[in-house]
Amino acid sequence: MQVNNHILTLIIFVPLVGAALLALLPVRGRTIQWSALAVTLVTFLLTLHLPAHYDYIAGGMQFESNHVWLASPAIRYHLGVDGLSLWLMVLVGLLAPFGVLASWRAIGDRTKEFYVLFLVQQTAMLGVFAALDLFLFYGFWELSLVPMTLLIAIFGRTENRRRAAMKYFLYTFITSALLLVAVLWLYARTGTFDFTVLSQMAAAHHISTSTSALWLASLAFLLAFSTKVPVFPLHGWLSDAISEAPTAAAMVLVGELGLYAILRFSLGIFPAESHRIAPLMIALGAIGVVYGALIALAQTDIKRLIAYSSLSHVSFVVLGIFSFTVSGLDGAVYQILNHGVSGGALLLLAGFLYERYLTYDMRDYGGVAQRLPWMVTLFVITTLSLVALPMMNGFVGEFLILSGTFGVHPRWTMLATLGVILGAAYMLWMVQRIFYGSLGPKLKVLTAGIDVPDLSAREHVALWPLAALMLIMGVFSPCWMRAIDLSGVQLASASKPAATAPRVIVLSTATYAIPDTKTRSAQGGK
Amino acid sequence: MTPMSPHLIWFIPLLPFAGFLVNGLLGRRLTRNAVTGVALFCTALPVALVLWLTATFRAEHLLSLTTGHHIWIQTSSLQIAFALAVDHLTLVMLAVVTGVGFLIHIYSAGYMAHEEGFWRFFAYLNLFMFFMLTLVLSANFLLLFVGWEGVGLASYLLIGFYFTKDSAANAGKKAFIVNRIGDFGFLLAMFLMIAHFGSLSFGSVFAQIGMAPQLHGGFLTAIALCLVLGAAGKSAQIPLYIWLPDAMEGPTPVSALIHAATMVTAGIYMVARCHAIFDRSALALAVVAIIGALTAIFAASIGMVQTDIKRVLAYSTVSQLGYMFLACGVGAYSAAIFHLLTHAFFKALLFLAAGSVIHALSGEQDMRNMGGLRHRIPVTFWTMTAGVFAIAGFPGFSGFFSKDEILYRTFMHPGAMGVVLWAVGLLTAFMTAFYMFRLWYLTFFGAQRFEDHPAHAHEAGHDDGQAAHGHGVHESPWIMLAPLVVLAILSVCGGWIGIPFALGGNNYFEHFLAPVFAGNVSRQMVETAGTGHGMELLLACVSVLAAVLGLLVADYFYRRRPDAAAKLALSLRGLHSTLVHKYWVDEIYAKVIVMPLLMLGRYVLFYGVDLGVIGGGTSAAAAASRGAGGLLRRMQSGNIRSYAGWLAAGAAILLAFTIFGRGLLHIL
Amino acid sequence: MVSMNVIRLLPEIILTLSGVMVMLEEPMLPAARSRKSLGWFAIFGTMAAAAASLWQLHFPVGTAFYGMVQVDAYSVFFHLLICAVVLVTLLSSLDYFDGFASHSGEYFALVLFAATGMMLMTCSVELLMVFIGLEISSIATYIMAGMRKGQGASAEAALKYFLLGSFATAFFLYGVALIFGATGSTGFAAIAAAIPGSHAPMLVVTSFALMLIGLGFKVSAAPFHMWTPDVYQGAPSPVVGLMSTAPKAAAFAVLLRVAFTAFPTLQHRWSILIWVMAVASMFIGNLCALLQRDVKRMLAYSSIAHAGYILVAYTAFRADGIAAVCFYTAAYAAMNVGAFAVITQVSGVKESLSNVEDFAGLAQQRPVLSAAMACFMLSMIGIPFTAGFFGKFYVFTAALHAGHVWLVVLGLINSGIACYYYLRFLISLYSPGPSARAALLRGKPLSFAATVAIALCVLATLALGILPGRVLHLASRAGETIAASVTQ
Repeated sequence: MQVNNHILTLIIFVPLVGAALLALLPVRGRTIQWSALAVTLVTFLLTLHLPAHYDYIAGGMQFESNHVWLASPAIRYHLGVDGLSLWLMVLVGLLAPFGVLASWRAIGDRTKEFYVLFLVQQTAMLGVFAALDLFLFYGFWELSLVPMTLLIAIFGRTENRRRAAMKYFLYTFITSALLLVAVLWLYARTGTFDFTVLSQMAAAHHISTSTSALWLASLAFLLAFSTKVPVFPLHGWLSDAISEAPTAAAMVLVGELGLYAILRFSLGIFPAESHRIAPLMIALGAIGVVYGALIALAQTDIKRLIAYSSLSHVSFVVLGIFSFTVSGLDGAVYQILNHGVSGGALLLLAGFLYERYLTYDMRDYGGVAQRLPWMVTLFVITTLSLVALPMMNGFVGEFLILSGTFGVHPRWTMLATLGVILGAAYMLWMVQRIFYGSLGPKLKVLTAGIDVPDLSAREHVALWPLAALMLIMGVFSPCWMRAIDLSGVQLASASKPAATAPRVIVLSTATYAIPDTKTRSAQGGK
Repeated sequence: MTPMSPHLIWFIPLLPFAGFLVNGLLGRRLTRNAVTGVALFCTALPVALVLWLTATFRAEHLLSLTTGHHIWIQTSSLQIAFALAVDHLTLVMLAVVTGVGFLIHIYSAGYMAHEEGFWRFFAYLNLFMFFMLTLVLSANFLLLFVGWEGVGLASYLLIGFYFTKDSAANAGKKAFIVNRIGDFGFLLAMFLMIAHFGSLSFGSVFAQIGMAPQLHGGFLTAIALCLVLGAAGKSAQIPLYIWLPDAMEGPTPVSALIHAATMVTAGIYMVARCHAIFDRSALALAVVAIIGALTAIFAASIGMVQTDIKRVLAYSTVSQLGYMFLACGVGAYSAAIFHLLTHAFFKALLFLAAGSVIHALSGEQDMRNMGGLRHRIPVTFWTMTAGVFAIAGFPGFSGFFSKDEILYRTFMHPGAMGVVLWAVGLLTAFMTAFYMFRLWYLTFFGAQRFEDHPAHAHEAGHDDGQAAHGHGVHESPWIMLAPLVVLAILSVCGGWIGIPFALGGNNYFEHFLAPVFAGNVSRQMVETAGTGHGMELLLACVSVLAAVLGLLVADYFYRRRPDAAAKLALSLRGLHSTLVHKYWVDEIYAKVIVMPLLMLGRYVLFYGVDLGVIGGGTSAAAAASRGAGGLLRRMQSGNIRSYAGWLAAGAAILLAFTIFGRGLLHIL
Repeated sequence: MVSMNVIRLLPEIILTLSGVMVMLEEPMLPAARSRKSLGWFAIFGTMAAAAASLWQLHFPVGTAFYGMVQVDAYSVFFHLLICAVVLVTLLSSLDYFDGFASHSGEYFALVLFAATGMMLMTCSVELLMVFIGLEISSIATYIMAGMRKGQGASAEAALKYFLLGSFATAFFLYGVALIFGATGSTGFAAIAAAIPGSHAPMLVVTSFALMLIGLGFKVSAAPFHMWTPDVYQGAPSPVVGLMSTAPKAAAFAVLLRVAFTAFPTLQHRWSILIWVMAVASMFIGNLCALLQRDVKRMLAYSSIAHAGYILVAYTAFRADGIAAVCFYTAAYAAMNVGAFAVITQVSGVKESLSNVEDFAGLAQQRPVLSAAMACFMLSMIGIPFTAGFFGKFYVFTAALHAGHVWLVVLGLINSGIACYYYLRFLISLYSPGPSARAALLRGKPLSFAATVAIALCVLATLALGILPGRVLHLASRAGETIAASVTQ
């Protein structure tokens, strides 16, 4: 079908073209906002084409378009989507319009720069999810860095914005430099950048005979991706970036890209190595869950609390990925979507609160519930989704992840499950500090006389679809799982190293993991 | 009558949910009558359905009606459906939840009539009904967990109903989090089941256990213990009971419905439902029994000195739940469910009556400021009396049969443990009688210890029962009294469906549940047969004596010698204050668990690790490279001579490297 | 035969002639008149030269003037590169000196002469010829550095450049002398023939080292980089744009030809030296740049670092390494000349804006210019889809193919460090600036020529990043020609 061959190219470049058009538009009234909204909506509708026309029976890579970009070095313009990236494309498409709505009033001046950068960012992200040529992927991967950094640096909230942006950029760029070395090394070894070819070679152990070199390359990949996620010790940039970033940018700052990259490229090209590193990653994931939650408990700034809570949430995903069980992987992918939807909604709400009270400090808040009944309703719904209440999207993901991981790494899973308790603690505490009790002193002063309006029509439009989605994704998960499971099964099976059983590898590399790997993996064996 | 189509079962939970949606989304615009109408309709219809279901229920087969295979979660390794199942046990629970629930809805219509956010209250109440019914109807653990957490959510919302009060908000949060600790156990149990049985549906899990008779202890014990943790959280057992007394911050009807009659019994229901697992693990059963007995006596002892009428009832609830746990622990599941049933009747009655008292005194909850009310609010008085006698276990009242059954089964439990636990239970029975009659006397007898000015009503700062229409002490409207009367009748007669053989009854209830607890019940029968009915009668008399003793002591302290109580308290100061402060358990938890966690999070992890190590490391690296740059820039003096010098030096180095380079490389 | 000689030297001849013409024209014009006309004349001269060197491709590879110069794809590549750089520089500085310095016509002539010298360097296969070209270009650039007459900084820059430059060329000449002593010849092929095995007399190795010093100075590679920051800061922006790219390209070209065709057998010896120089240049350049507030100094240090990146490719003693060198010089020229063209336009001959902070708010006043600058900065960072990225990509791929993994790691870590200061500049462009400087930033409107110049640079930067096919093809052809002469 003609459309299917070009749909991905179309999806990826519509935002870019939109950005170009925006740059030419005059800044008058709300022209920029409306046209940005239009562009993002068009993109979203286009992304919906993918799940609608994906052949679930056949599975595998679809909507492929594969052309030579450069003969030598052999770089191809190779795009494609499978069960793994299918819904991630849709997610990015979905979040963009909400990002625009979130920035509608929040971004007062220099709107043109903002929306241009925002759209370029979207192109980069879509490209990352669709690219099947390592070189192309790396291109979009790095490209996604620039607009985000500028968005933070220019539109950040406080004077700290430049530092935050710089931190974010350096963290991700330097690790990506190592990724580039590994990519070049792969090319030098195999003479191709094409992911599908590489993964086949990897499955057949044809990439390289030197295990140590492969090991290093896989580490470079994992390091770069984990920094972007971020995985536990690599989250140095996270809280500053989130607390500075404008809502629209923060919505897509954490999770998706890095986690997808791990699933696609680390697991796809380095299956055996990923199994070797799994015990360590599981440990880091479990620690990250609890660590993020405990620190979130200590926060007084809403944005920073959200930052650490998302650290905790993405750690769940890491846990699921490296369990290498079907449930774990399915749950992981599903949880990426959930984090996008629910985390995004939470950031939107926080942003709307900020527009009203000009503070993110929870100590200033309190008793807002009387003033803003609709706000509190939606805030609580989002909270429940984030604390993984059954029948909400978060539960399906976390349950699958934990139940899948439990069979392999029971102890770490127990630790991570504690996050369920802590998560409830800090989220509900936040709700209480913001909304319940009597009206906060600073707010009294701030809003003396004026009555603060409850959600406006725009804000309702921005929030209800997400809230509904949380419920729907919590109840009708098979609708998404259908596609995800395809790749989940494939990853779980393909990433089994043919030569030796994974557990043996785990034991043999116990030194890479933290001390009690042996006992744990032995237990997993039972 | 034609048997009910299985698909209609869906309507039992979904109708309340519809009610929740209507009231939740549109409630603000609806009139109070409309809201009430919707809420009552959506709870009345399920009652009708349940009645129809019960009437046409075919008792032959177990898990008889199973409906609905709409998939909820589907991966190639795990599939979980929205499946409902109805068996005898479910029927009992359905009857309790819908019946009592409906009555309390009616009561609330009067009680909350003048509250802010009337619509919100009924929306939450319907939401609760939805989740509770899901809980009892579900055919697999995960759906049960949905209800399990859902009722937790509803209780969180309802406890925090007066969210402008910090105490209420805190209580709600506390309840949710403590329940989460229990749910942690439940989750682990489910993970274990998936790992070992690959499924979460009751049918397949229990069947697999049944097919493996050699399975004993081992991972089954692990599963059982995790489930106990869950049950302890939901049913307020040691060590997780702390949330229930605080939950009294909620409106009284909520306390009656959620924190007495239905939600808190979910734990007992779950244990009974999983008896197949517990029967295979003596250890787990023992743990359950011990926890139950301890909680029973522990809470009862606290209840003896509380002065807030609702808190007395709260601790009595905890203690009665302890009884049910004890029953499960000794394998007397049907007895546990029987007590669950009767307790639902009389405890709901007691709470509603207490609410009526509070209502009458426009918000007063402290029993020290009550007294002599029996003529002022007669209906409330008589209904409450029925409840008090029922819980105290006076012969003929419902409480008597169920509690007696539990004590008897405990006594019969093999080994010394049985007797010890029985003694504890007996002591608890005495205490129960004592504090209930204490409450009775303090509230309704003696001198009136409050001044009733109409004005008092208004400035009563207490939100609860703020149904304060001007005039002072007054009997509640009939919309509130009617449920009281119905419940009073049930509290009296409710027990007659389970009169044991020893007392000439036919223990219909146990037979009704027999199919569910098949195998287990028979074992009990054998033991019973061994001893004959004499023993059972004897024990019955003993427990009656205990109850009477309780009555007499209370009578002595609170009617004849009102000052004696104070004296005794003074003489036993230490013990008394320990009880008043609930053994300082809350304080201990705060000091030992909560504070350390917060400190760990803030100081060690946040300031120490995150800002210190990780943040510091980053900035150190930055500083290092800047420093290096600074040093290198020193070369840039701007002075040509020095530049030439550097150039020459560089050349020298390069030449040296060229000439001796090989040697250097060899050294390196 | 004579005709062939002429054809093989045609571009140089054209440039020289047009340079002379400009010189003659200059005094005739009344002092007050704008020198634009001369500039345009010079531009046409350059175009003609470029066309001529393209035309050379149609003829078989061969030497001219008794084996002094050799015209091949390699030389043509650099001819074109130099022409392009000169072209853009001229376009962006047509009216730069107008009303500032008298007789600014000389400037155009000097540019052309410098270009001639560089072209000679790139096509000569004989050391003395190289030296002559080197001197022609150097002397011209010395003068140009002092072109901002009456400005102390400019004069200082010129003097420093001149003194240190001649000092360095002395080393080069010494090297030439030694090699002549050792092998009795100064032709590359002859030298290569005279050094049969890998065990060459110390004299030969030393002579190469001396030449390396001379050329290392020209490409401002550490440890011979000291002059760069001061000179770049003082010299006129367009001149810096020129001399930070074209002479370097020429010097790199020579170094490559010398190393690969004259001393192929000693590869194991000189590659160590170059390895060290590469790493030193990268680190010194980037680390020093971290602390720079003056934009021109910052770019000076960055050019040192980029020299380091280019040297990395030398260590891969292969055709694709040579191609990488060619491509990188082109990419670097595109973005660096562009950056200096923008600075020229924004801060003018008075150099009114020097510090990074001074540029804050440029985005509001001149969105297009700052967008162009952003493009160049991103390319210098090495963001994909820009010339800089492909440049690094080829260089490091070549090095990896040759097995220098650690060199690559070091290089990429450096590009990580480097992004800090480029990004800082980029961010300050886009952050709101004090309204006081708004008028200053708005400056005078962009002239047509300047617009064309900057547009060309942007196009080049993006084209080399997205569709580098053409240039890459030429570069690899150039690489093959050299590699071929190595294997002979």
